[in-house]
Amino acid sequence: MILAITILIGISVIMIFPIGSQAQTEENIFVTHSGAVVKTTGEVLDPLYTSATVEFDPMEYLRDFNYGRISQLEDGTVLREYTIIANDDEIMEVSPGIFYNVWTFNGTVPGPTIRATEGDIVRVKFINNGEKEHTIHFHGIHPAGMDGVFEPVGGNGGQFVYEFEAGPVGVHPYHCHVMPLEEHIVHGLYGVFIVDPKEERPPADEMVMVLNGLDTDFDTENNFYAANTIPFYYQHHPIQINTNELIRIYVVNMVEFDPINNFHLHGNLYKYYPTGTDIVPSFYTDMITLSQTERGIMEFEYQYPGKYLFHAHKVEFSEKGWVGIFMVNENKEGTEDVKYGS
Amino acid sequence: MEVSNTSSKGKLIASGVIPFAFLIILIAYIFGPGSELLDLGIPLPEITMEKVDFLDSEIQVTVRNTGPISVEIAMADVNDRIQPAAVEPDRYLERYETALVRIPFEWNDAEPYIVGITIEDGTRFEKEIEAAAPALEPSFELLGFFAIIGTYVGIIPVMIGLLWLPFIKRISKQKYHFFLALTAGLLLFLAIDSVEEALDVSNESLAGSFNGVLLVATVLILSFLGLYYTGEKLVSRAKSSRITKPVAIALMISIGIGLHNFGEGLAIGAAVGLGSIAFSTFLIIGFALHNTTEGLAIAAPMSREKKVIGKLAAMGLIAGAPAIFGAWIGGFVYSPFTSVVFLSIGAGAIFQVIITILKWIREQGDKNLSSAAVASGFAIGMVIMYLTSILV
Ligand SMILES: [Cu+2]
Repeated sequence: MILAITILIGISVIMIFPIGSQAQTEENIFVTHSGAVVKTTGEVLDPLYTSATVEFDPMEYLRDFNYGRISQLEDGTVLREYTIIANDDEIMEVSPGIFYNVWTFNGTVPGPTIRATEGDIVRVKFINNGEKEHTIHFHGIHPAGMDGVFEPVGGNGGQFVYEFEAGPVGVHPYHCHVMPLEEHIVHGLYGVFIVDPKEERPPADEMVMVLNGLDTDFDTENNFYAANTIPFYYQHHPIQINTNELIRIYVVNMVEFDPINNFHLHGNLYKYYPTGTDIVPSFYTDMITLSQTERGIMEFEYQYPGKYLFHAHKVEFSEKGWVGIFMVNENKEGTEDVKYGS
Repeated sequence: MEVSNTSSKGKLIASGVIPFAFLIILIAYIFGPGSELLDLGIPLPEITMEKVDFLDSEIQVTVRNTGPISVEIAMADVNDRIQPAAVEPDRYLERYETALVRIPFEWNDAEPYIVGITIEDGTRFEKEIEAAAPALEPSFELLGFFAIIGTYVGIIPVMIGLLWLPFIKRISKQKYHFFLALTAGLLLFLAIDSVEEALDVSNESLAGSFNGVLLVATVLILSFLGLYYTGEKLVSRAKSSRITKPVAIALMISIGIGLHNFGEGLAIGAAVGLGSIAFSTFLIIGFALHNTTEGLAIAAPMSREKKVIGKLAAMGLIAGAPAIFGAWIGGFVYSPFTSVVFLSIGAGAIFQVIITILKWIREQGDKNLSSAAVASGFAIGMVIMYLTSILV
């Protein structure tokens, strides 16, 4: 009896009073969203203000376009050859301290942004180094056997060559199309395929933003949202652009689970070309709404230098990472050399 | 002679130890390193948010690693919106280790919040708070406030219940048995109520690794056995001392009810501490009402005694005062584990009291429990409690 009570009291005491490990003596300071200054002897948990240690660099991805290995066929048509390798065993730090099994095309989520001109022959050598079957399904126009749906490519070195004529003009997603589809997409097997018009678009500072989410605990709800995978990244590392310089963003919404996503720009409006298939903009707005794999091209230029936010106006998404900053710098070179709208 | 004696002793020890040694070898074989007999599956990390405090512009969460493996806390959110936060002393939690997550947040009074913690593998855990209220800062004022609540809920209603004593004194043996059985019925309801409450708390706030249901069962049975044993001793000693059997029984009832009221105090203190104002008011009214019936439970066995006023007052205190201590503990050092434990102890104590009362009726009532008075008393006791539970 006494023994039992002693044990009970002992356990209770342990359970009431927290057991801590050795406390750090060093004091950290951090600033919250609202500007409050917090001092702590512990560690700071902050996807926003600590320097990200993430392996994937969204800043590099932003302006990285893969034009392929270019050659000419006998009839003079341009042939562009690409290699895309699928993998499904990489663990990546997707936000400071959070490790997630990403499935990748060429090692990144999203996969490479491949780019061709309308009428070119696109030849994609696909190698599946994953454990599971994968494919690449390109949105666009192509023959049935090139659709990446009924031609699953086995893992551990399986290969397939996709070949088709680039078209139509615009910005298109590509993604794995193996069942269960949702699983393959939400793990990261997608990317962007841009088809440029034969008559080039006006020169601009071009970037690609894939709006995506990560369901890290597999409850079919996203734990994070981002433009280009890493939550809060462009807020922590603002995108540097210049005043009076045309900015062109290829936006693709790859968010799963949520019916819509959107893109709101601060201090400005943009011309919007849905799917990019037209060369005349359909909207002049600061807010577009995108359903799954809806995409388009946005064009704008800033007149006034400074910091401008861009984010999902579905505020939940922005507060879970889909938010960024354009740092608009004064353009020293002036505006004479920028021409567009020919 | 001597030699054979030692050798037989040796044989005795050996015969006791050898099977034990085999048992150890068996266990080592099953669980030991390199054993592939048992594949216990993939251990999943688990954390429990034991406490959420709302401070000035800050939400503080006490997080405990209640899973089988160590975890790292990676992120905090409020209402599913990611917030910068601090974790003290650090984000690495060994088994059962705790950390304090401090989330700067301008929260609003009385609004509900869901606080989430994400660990390194991306798993998010959450805890819902029905209404935010400033965390209780221990102060003499608050100490006094809880003491007053404890007095209203524990001591006064029990004392009121004791006022039934003169009435019970004047009634026949049959009716006396009826009231004893009624008491047992009331108590049985309370015991079940305590078990239910303990299971609720363990469901809502206790980590799966504590095996809530089994914890309740174990603590309940231990406290039952412990008190049963002590109670029997007390009664048997009563024969040879000045304590009479009815007094001994009433004393045990008081102790049992005291433990139960301690649990009630815990519940009230915790509800106030967690800022559930409506819930704590409900608890205070409900507990106060039904605690008058506890007074009846104490008074019933004492009704055949003389000069009981002093003893009754003492027993009223034993039964009622723990509510005050419960409220203090519940309000200031609440943890789901302690409330489950105390509620279970209370339930075990009450079951023990019920058994004692039934034995007492049996001895008094010609070794018979199946009289109409006993059956109806028991039933009515349950019904009364059920009706009060609906009304309040
Ligand atoms: Cu796939």
